Amino acid sequence: MIVDEVCDTAPILQGKRGTLMEEILCMEHITKQFGSVFANRDINLEVRRGEVHTLLGENGAGKSTLMNVLFGLYQPTAGKIYLNGKPVKITSPAEAVKLGIGMVHQHFMLVEAMTVLENIILGDRRTSGIFIDKDSRRKEITELADRYGLEIELDKPVTEIAVGAQQRVEIMKALYRGAELLVLDEPTAALTDIEVEGLFSIIEKLKSENKSVIFISHKMREVLRISDRITVLRAGETVCTVERSETDGPKLANLMMGRDLVPSHYEKIEQPGAPVMALTDVSYHKASKHSGLNDVSLTVSRGEIVGIAGVDGNGQSQLAQIVTGVLTPDEGEVDLKGSKIAQFTPNGFILENVSHIPEDRNKMGLIGNMSVQDNIVLKATEQPKFSDGKGFHLKRRAIHDYALAMQEKYDIRCESVEQESRNLSGGNQQKIILARELEGNPDLLVAVHPTRGLDIGATRFVHDSMIDARNRGCGVLLISADFDEVLEISDRIIVMFEGQVMGVYSGKNPPVEEISLAMAGK
Amino acid sequence: MKRRKNLMSVLVPLASVLLAFVIGAIIIAALGGSPVQAVAYLFKGAFGTPNNIASTLVKATPLIFTGLCACFAYRCGVFNLGGEGQFIMGSIATCWVATTWGMEGPGAMLLCLLFGALAGGIWGAIPGFLKITRGLNEMIVSIMLNYIATLFMGLLYTSVLRDGNVPQTAAVPDATQLQRIVPNLRVTWGIVIALAVAAVVQYFLFSTSKGFQLRAVGLNMTAARFNGFDVNKIILFSFVISGAIAGLGGSVELLGTQYRLISGYAVGYGFDGVAMALIAQLNPVATVIVAYFFAVLRTGANTMQAGTGVPTSVIDIIQALVIVLAVAGFALVKLPQIRQWLVSRTGKSKKEEK
Amino acid sequence: MNITELLLSTVRMATPILLVALAELYSERAGLVNIGLDGIMSFGALTGFMVCFLTGSPYLGILAGACGGILVNMIYAYCTISLCAEQIVYGMAVNIFAPAVASFIYRIYFGVSSTLAQGSLMKTIAVPGLKNLPFLGKLLFDQTPMVYFAYLMVAVTAVFFNRTKAGLNYKAVGEYPKAAETLGINVIRQKYLACIICGALAGIGGAYLTTCYVNTYSDGVVAGRGFIALSAVIFGRWSSGGVLLACLLFGFCDALQLRLQIMSTATPYQMFQMIPYVCTLVALAVFGIKKAGPKANGKPYMREER
Repeated sequence: MIVDEVCDTAPILQGKRGTLMEEILCMEHITKQFGSVFANRDINLEVRRGEVHTLLGENGAGKSTLMNVLFGLYQPTAGKIYLNGKPVKITSPAEAVKLGIGMVHQHFMLVEAMTVLENIILGDRRTSGIFIDKDSRRKEITELADRYGLEIELDKPVTEIAVGAQQRVEIMKALYRGAELLVLDEPTAALTDIEVEGLFSIIEKLKSENKSVIFISHKMREVLRISDRITVLRAGETVCTVERSETDGPKLANLMMGRDLVPSHYEKIEQPGAPVMALTDVSYHKASKHSGLNDVSLTVSRGEIVGIAGVDGNGQSQLAQIVTGVLTPDEGEVDLKGSKIAQFTPNGFILENVSHIPEDRNKMGLIGNMSVQDNIVLKATEQPKFSDGKGFHLKRRAIHDYALAMQEKYDIRCESVEQESRNLSGGNQQKIILARELEGNPDLLVAVHPTRGLDIGATRFVHDSMIDARNRGCGVLLISADFDEVLEISDRIIVMFEGQVMGVYSGKNPPVEEISLAMAGK
Repeated sequence: MKRRKNLMSVLVPLASVLLAFVIGAIIIAALGGSPVQAVAYLFKGAFGTPNNIASTLVKATPLIFTGLCACFAYRCGVFNLGGEGQFIMGSIATCWVATTWGMEGPGAMLLCLLFGALAGGIWGAIPGFLKITRGLNEMIVSIMLNYIATLFMGLLYTSVLRDGNVPQTAAVPDATQLQRIVPNLRVTWGIVIALAVAAVVQYFLFSTSKGFQLRAVGLNMTAARFNGFDVNKIILFSFVISGAIAGLGGSVELLGTQYRLISGYAVGYGFDGVAMALIAQLNPVATVIVAYFFAVLRTGANTMQAGTGVPTSVIDIIQALVIVLAVAGFALVKLPQIRQWLVSRTGKSKKEEK
Repeated sequence: MNITELLLSTVRMATPILLVALAELYSERAGLVNIGLDGIMSFGALTGFMVCFLTGSPYLGILAGACGGILVNMIYAYCTISLCAEQIVYGMAVNIFAPAVASFIYRIYFGVSSTLAQGSLMKTIAVPGLKNLPFLGKLLFDQTPMVYFAYLMVAVTAVFFNRTKAGLNYKAVGEYPKAAETLGINVIRQKYLACIICGALAGIGGAYLTTCYVNTYSDGVVAGRGFIALSAVIFGRWSSGGVLLACLLFGFCDALQLRLQIMSTATPYQMFQMIPYVCTLVALAVFGIKKAGPKANGKPYMREER
């Protein structure tokens, strides 16, 4: 367990279950392993009746895994769960629902083609008869909704209601099935400010009815506003549990992401070259908070690495796809090497020597069923190096030799370069993409979550390659949810939150606390 | 790894064929015939005399074309089920050029082949165009066009291009027909054209940059798009070319084997082509082999029926069984559980370091 | 041209398409695109005809058709649900396999001859009282019972999907199977049930062709109706009422082209025969929208590893 002196741990109750304190849930020593990876290690969580208990942590801290264990989607490798003092085994979501646990996922489990009413009563076995007694159900649900202050329109199709309303439907689903404990996973990610206020009043109402809420979030403002107690997770382990009254934003940010600033392996650049890409007031789906961009302006220059820090879902994917030509912005201007981009196509950007390490290497980067060597030359088959007559006759030998050279240079571990790329491990797949994207001496490299799912060795390799590219004069835009990574290699750090640029900071001696707070929205 | 995959690609169809034959044998036995005798006559019919071998080649020719048509389209991830219609349109165009233009001879023949491919290409472009502009399901469109093409052909040989009182068109003039390779055997240069097309398709798909891109689109359209390929253009291209291949096939069939359009012309070639492409796992060379195999079955079936009384429909069943079993077999070996079982048996680890 | 005759024909010819379209509706609502309808129909046509021929009862024939359809569709079900084979590919395989088997069985029993064997034809049964209604009476209430069955199914389907709990859960399987699973609905079982219903209805549709429409069986009896039914589902926007209208339209085209053939001897009859297919194309081109239909349609469902 990681212990910080800042943290004043309220002692976790041991040996007294469900009796003295009105405890509803106790997860004890929960460990969940996937192969050799520990997603959760020895986690203890205890939730009281009528309390709002926040799970705080950055991406990959283990919050989702823990909740999936609670909801019966995963079975814990070790540990026990107690509900109302009794030990329980939660084998499936249906089981969890029966036990009174309700979950509101980040991606709603709503059937779009059906109305609100239909979604709420879907799969419910408690009523008898073949036909749906819409009137009785309506009455029941309206009563319940009034009790908890949930405004919902029962007869509207789900696609026609706002996101905030959709969330209320999900909450209603849980309450209708008798949930006593509600888990809200990043509930405010997609809501407007007004909708967030609405959600908070509902949570207050739930509390007053003695329901418990587990609130998962990375947004400090809300966490501080709504929580009774906060449990901080980091790297799959519990850091500590604190009472809201005993902590504040900076303390929590430090617990969540706090690290002693380890001096980076790399030399940081302070005077970059000429700008290679500039965004001016670029907007895309402006109103959306978690998949849009709102008046974003930033510059990437030659010979520097700009790291975009921020929790996933704050517009980063959209930014990446705009600067590689996959998406077209609604407003604003994008300049590449001094000239304005008129048409956004991937090929256009590729021709301008922009390289892209996409966020999902299997869906967007590699043709899984094609060989390693084919993937390496994917974009280059018409070059004279690899074919005669601009693609008329592929030079198999040349391609093979080149692939072997790349295998050597980028340390791609595989049985043969003619192997299907989907059979390689994540790290080696990423190396294929690196070999393809970096060899052409790009002017701009856009790298999105480049080390996601990679081990330390592979991560080091990727970072080394990116630094090399930078030193050769390439401008690098790094988008990553891994804060360590951003701190490690960025020359400048830009924080994005809800589609907006929160601040720009130097990569040399970065103000970690300030950045952490910015990432959480303050 | 690759070895095992190739092994599976061959084993599954072989096993399907074997199993299908076993079931066929059971059916023959149940009908009171002798399976061994039936198979003997089957092979005799297909390989017994030089003329039989020639007949088999002749039967294989149109199947190779429709098989390549389906193969080419599916390589791009599109379901061109309109091979039949495209084949027929090719035949129609050829008939038109050969019988109404007043030209004869090798020059006319080349023109016929050209127009056949063109007609097939245009007929194939229709579903392609509708798919990329309106997102229409190309299967239904291409199948509707099959029926329209067949009816159009019927219209032609019963009225517009009718030759005399019989419902058939005039025959292609002798000078314009595809000539026999060897004087006494039925096989014409048509088979050579078919094999040439197979070679070109193989070359295109695996040795050119455009073919490479086409395969990429078929395997992962998103990644293809991210890597700068013009996906819509490539899809349309695949429809047009696969249609042209089928159209060329129709032309060859008319000029080399049938000589006139008549009721029952080219029935079933299109769907057979799709089936063959699936069994051949979309490999052009394998498609030729599978087409030949099907032709063997068909040619032999007549001899078998004549010699042992076992009806030719048994062959239809065997053929259909091969298709069903092969497709199921491929799906079976792709299942994660089966894969793990196979891995544990062959002792190779799938992933390298983790 | 007698309008009543034309409409009467329309109703008769729309029926098999309607039955098969409903079959596909049940299948697609559970997320399974089944393009093997032609094949299932052929097999249903054959089994229906055989049993009708052997027993003399067209009703037993219809029942046999249903059983035959279920049998064929179970192969499709197993391969697409449990083996997760691609639905389109497997549908094609069924389209090749089932007619071959049907043709084979027919030839074995009846031999190869140019005269077709004749079975019994289902007689029309008029609904007492209602049949005397002006105009509509003859049209709607003096048909074979299969027609009534088909229209009844339209109503039953509408009620099932819109008003029953089971129907609601059923639809969820085709729209968002993962969500359905989390709500305790057994997705795999539901898909198999869907295949049984689909097979039964498509088989009945095929059997209709050889026991009510005509009383003979021939290889081309289905004539692509399975694919027209597929378009009817798209055209009818996956609702049983819409499907009914689409099928009536196609039935009308079918009936019209027959009348026109008889009427105008100058124009080649094939021009008229093309009408249903051209109609389908036009309908699709004008009304076929890209992403309509159950959301999870066509996607194999794999229970994730827990």
